[in-house]
Amino acid sequence: MSDSPPRPLTRRCFLEAGAAALAAAPILGGTPRAAAQAPAKVTKVHDFSTGADIAKAEQEGEVVYYGHDSEPAIAALLEAFRKDFPKIKTSYVRLQTGALYAKITAERSANRFLVDILQLSDISPAIDFQKKGGYESHLSPELAAYKPAYQSTPPGYFTWVGVTFAGIAYNRGKVKPEQAPKAWKDILNPTFKDGISAKLATSGMQHAQWYMLRKLYGNDFWQEFARQRPRGFDARAQLFDRLAKGDDRVCALAEYAGYTLFKEKGADIDFAAPPDGLPATPAILGVVNRAPHPEAAKLFADWALSNRGQAVYQNQPLLLYGSLRNDAPPMPTGKRLSDFKLLFPSDWADFQASHAMFVKEWNGIMGL
Amino acid sequence: MPAGRARSWRPGPAVVSLVVGGAAVLVVFYPIVYLIQASLSVGDPQARPPEAYGLANFVDLARYAHIFWNTIVVSVVATALAIVLGFALGWILTRANVPGREALEQLMALPYYVTPLMGALAWSLIGSPSGGFLNQVWRALGGEGHLIDITTPYGIAWVMALFEGSVAFVMIGAVMKSMDPALEEASQVLGGSRLRTMLKITLPLVLPGVLGAAIFVFAEMLGSFSAALVLGLPNRFYVVTTAMYQLVSQYPPRFPQAAAMGVSLFAVMFAMVWIYRRIVSRGSYVTITGKAFRPRAMDVGGLKWPLFAVCLVYLFIAVVLPVLTLLYASFQRLATAFPRLDNFTLANYVTALSLDAVRSALANSLILGVATAGLGVFLMGFLSWLIYRSRLPGAGAIEYVLMFPQAVPRLVFAFGMLWAWLVFPIPIYGTLWLLLIAYLTVFLPLGIRTISGVMLQIDRTLEESAQMCGASWGYRLRTVTMPLLRPGLIAAALLLFIASVRELGASILLMGPKAKVITPAIVEAWFSTSTEQTAAMALLQTLAVALALIFLFAVAKRATRPAGE
Amino acid sequence: MTSASGVPASRAASIEVNDLVVQYGNVRAVRGVSFSVGAGEHLTLLGPSGCGKTTTLRAIAGLEKPTGGLIRIDGAVVYDSRSRTQVPPERRGLSMVFQSYAIWPHMTVFDNVAYGLRVRREPESEIARKVGWALGLVQMAELASRSASKLSGGQQQRVALARAFVFSPSVLLFDEPLSNLDAKLRAEMRVELKELQRQLGITSVYVTHDLEEALAISDRIIVMRDGVIEQIGTPAEIYELPRNAFVADFVGSANLIRGRRRPELDGDGLVVLETPGGTLVHGVAHGRRAGTEAVFSARTVHLQLSRERPRGERNVWTARVRSRVFQGDFTQYHLDWDGRRVVLRCVTADPVAEGTDLFLSVDPRHCILLEDQ
Repeated sequence: MSDSPPRPLTRRCFLEAGAAALAAAPILGGTPRAAAQAPAKVTKVHDFSTGADIAKAEQEGEVVYYGHDSEPAIAALLEAFRKDFPKIKTSYVRLQTGALYAKITAERSANRFLVDILQLSDISPAIDFQKKGGYESHLSPELAAYKPAYQSTPPGYFTWVGVTFAGIAYNRGKVKPEQAPKAWKDILNPTFKDGISAKLATSGMQHAQWYMLRKLYGNDFWQEFARQRPRGFDARAQLFDRLAKGDDRVCALAEYAGYTLFKEKGADIDFAAPPDGLPATPAILGVVNRAPHPEAAKLFADWALSNRGQAVYQNQPLLLYGSLRNDAPPMPTGKRLSDFKLLFPSDWADFQASHAMFVKEWNGIMGL
Repeated sequence: MPAGRARSWRPGPAVVSLVVGGAAVLVVFYPIVYLIQASLSVGDPQARPPEAYGLANFVDLARYAHIFWNTIVVSVVATALAIVLGFALGWILTRANVPGREALEQLMALPYYVTPLMGALAWSLIGSPSGGFLNQVWRALGGEGHLIDITTPYGIAWVMALFEGSVAFVMIGAVMKSMDPALEEASQVLGGSRLRTMLKITLPLVLPGVLGAAIFVFAEMLGSFSAALVLGLPNRFYVVTTAMYQLVSQYPPRFPQAAAMGVSLFAVMFAMVWIYRRIVSRGSYVTITGKAFRPRAMDVGGLKWPLFAVCLVYLFIAVVLPVLTLLYASFQRLATAFPRLDNFTLANYVTALSLDAVRSALANSLILGVATAGLGVFLMGFLSWLIYRSRLPGAGAIEYVLMFPQAVPRLVFAFGMLWAWLVFPIPIYGTLWLLLIAYLTVFLPLGIRTISGVMLQIDRTLEESAQMCGASWGYRLRTVTMPLLRPGLIAAALLLFIASVRELGASILLMGPKAKVITPAIVEAWFSTSTEQTAAMALLQTLAVALALIFLFAVAKRATRPAGE
Repeated sequence: MTSASGVPASRAASIEVNDLVVQYGNVRAVRGVSFSVGAGEHLTLLGPSGCGKTTTLRAIAGLEKPTGGLIRIDGAVVYDSRSRTQVPPERRGLSMVFQSYAIWPHMTVFDNVAYGLRVRREPESEIARKVGWALGLVQMAELASRSASKLSGGQQQRVALARAFVFSPSVLLFDEPLSNLDAKLRAEMRVELKELQRQLGITSVYVTHDLEEALAISDRIIVMRDGVIEQIGTPAEIYELPRNAFVADFVGSANLIRGRRRPELDGDGLVVLETPGGTLVHGVAHGRRAGTEAVFSARTVHLQLSRERPRGERNVWTARVRSRVFQGDFTQYHLDWDGRRVVLRCVTADPVAEGTDLFLSVDPRHCILLEDQ
């Protein structure tokens, strides 16, 4: 199964993967309920439905959010939530997904339960967290607008709150037009040696790209890439910052959202969407088990998945995710997700299992 | 019958010392124990307590040999630069009759306030091979490629020396001041030229002090984090501290390897500090021995102004240039040396000020700073008294233990603290209390050193005479020792305030969602937003801290007026 | 006995020191010292630097921890090496004046002096009265509100003194209190100190290396060297009857005349020594025993020079003037006598030229036989 070309995502393979994941590992911590649990009461607030007890949520008065987006992005997201629910304070921790997950698991293993909402940019830790009973089962009424493929198995643990995908970007001033990269193979071009960047092993997006291109082009692809002596960074803001200034010439993992933002700032950069497809990774949101503010957490999750929340995710310049809602409008650039050839792993279990190997290999490529 | 007064039982100094000293020792050792335990954990790295113990992690370190090599190279170069700078400036400001010496000497403390992080950010803006301002100017003038590359090991060492090496200047300057000027005057009277005097008389006499300073600075450089983080990471250049940070920040985190690295670094630093203390054991921490010489400066004739210029150039490079650069960048959308008019914006400041994280981080930092300074001086004042004046048994051992944090890189120590306090029954993990404890612990050597330096200058008989008047240890501590110490305590408090606000290595690991502090927040901004945004935040921090300092200083001045005036 | 202002004098205490040993590392600063001080007595510890006098004083104060011995103040044990008793200084009821005065610069003169009273929680009205009295006694009353950091050396000295006795301690300890003052001031303060001690009647233990000081103010003197006691006695005894060569030469200047005993020539209560040069010298033994070899000590001021032969048969010799040193109040002559040098001091009169031969004589009662060492 690992060598066949990626199939378009189907519910079936996802279910298989999920079930396999659940069956394979012993269940620690809380018990994920096998049967779907309908929420107690559905209320309509603003223009979305929530299964949370709003009065109680406001009494709790706070929601703690752990996420991987940039600080201003998270701040904007939480600000939007606060505008809708002024009585609920927000606080957050921002770390790259790997570090974020390491932090929350360390805390939980020491019986510290500080987090209400967890958003990750990589499905592997999400599946792992679900296995460990870290997620709370919460069937948001807003889940109806999402295909089952974009939800956890069984649903209610985590959901894809947005998708991000990456192609290649380059600095027009530094790269001659005839050398401009167009396909994935072009990132192996020796002219770009010591001038090419990507993300570090902490990134979910990077894991996805590694996995997908490995499938497409074989295991040697990345070894050859290592010879380019690429530079690794924590966030796409850094990648594009450097690209825009010319400190790097090519960015091998150029997220479309980052490109859009910096292009608007006036950077002299260009984006290439390779014909073989653009690796994509979801942003995964879920309510955390044993949360200090459970109702507020549920309210936030429902909000985030609703049109209101998704509008923020999709339109906020620092977020610019593609929304996976069935009724989502086009992205600010006018394009829709369907306009791009997105590559997702077909076997999530295999994807998740490959994480350890990815980290080891990628650290080596990045010089650590 | 000797006069005895009926009094209620008060704890003797021995009891209080035992309690306070014991607590301090515990707080220092507790994380180190955890660190060592983590480094010896083989088997499942996620298991706690460790499944099995072994030395496999240390053996595995061979894989990271290049990282250790990097660390040594950078530290050695940085130390050499710092010592050269420190010696040159020290000599100029204490031995040559440069105009405005006293003022210049005060100004030499400024790079410390600029903080290594800001310095690294600024120099990254100045010296990045492609986008750095200096290189842009170079290319505009017709040059090829880049003039300087701040992301090379030498560039990193340069930044480290500039902003973390000012302690070398302080130490060497103190050594020079404590030298009897008559020794140099004799050389001159006998016909030696100024250069000859400096090389043959001054240099050999200050050499032991300089050597001590070099070792001390080297130990500090080994634990440096900010410069390598900002400048080294983009260039795939890791030192032990940044490698540790990376290892624990990924998923799955590699705690045992990171711990093994930390313990190795700790061992080397420990050895360095031990050697340092052996060298200066005669003078201990007193650099001004009772009689402070007011050396008459040597007349350097025509060299006066060039040497003055040297000092100004240093101040420019270390203070003015970084601040101006950050200022310049913070007002642009995409920072460049030759911006178009439409590139200017206030958006960075607007965002920075509106970010609740920045506001709360700043507020937290200032609060923590005041708390650290306030609690710190009392704690460290008492500990200084305990070690140097109480003549209780075991004082020497306590001194040794309390100086431990000096030998541990902040990040390493915080790593141990992370584990140690995570499992602590009282939930202080992720709160400001944990940061407070961390700061008080890692700043113990700094505080004790500063206060004891002043304390040792106080004649012992001043306390003995209080004893002979019948005062108990608590009474005389309160009425004689502390008031006499007040100028030193204030200086120490201000120092602790600054140190805690600029602290990075420990804070970055120990922050929580509601316990953010500003320096790691700036680093996070560096990683997740743009350079321009980060510049704005850094400048806001500097402004806030400067205002706070001025305020605190004014308050403290009020409090130091002696009686009877 | 009360002073003029009605402040009660302190009840003076006696001090007893037995076999005191103080050791620092390998160095024995005090090597078995025993003495006692009577209530109200003024005892001085005299000796060159390094002799252990300050260490002994500080051991009595409690500021040094001895290695062995026993110290009792007014009968109560404050230090006993056998029972491991060590009463801390603040509870011994003593008081001390330090060499460096140790005036606290951050307080006023008044607060400095009042310190001991405030420690003892006396009411402020009492404090004001006593401080006024003490400052009056040392003539510092007008400066009571001045900051202590603005005093001259002499003024600090007085404040230190006032501070020390204001709370009527039973014992006053002095650690070379005058050595930082210039000569003139020292001489004046000496007299005042003596007056004060008389007035207050406090037991005093005084440490100094200055001979004149010790002779001027002490009831008894203990001469120390290298951690042991060389001689205890009244100033007159120490001066007139030194026990050994060290004391003889330390307390005033003396000529040491060594010789073989000639017991067969003894008579009239005098003993006779024959110098290696064959000269006979008569002197007094004062009950001291001497072996076959012995030493006389003859003070330089007791030797006499004359141009005419003096009357009397004993201790009259010729001598030649080798050099003359003018010292103002006295003149010092170095003479060749008996194949060696002797030193003579006399009130300055007409100078005698070098090379002159004169008669040298000394009263046998001023030739003191030193103890067998």
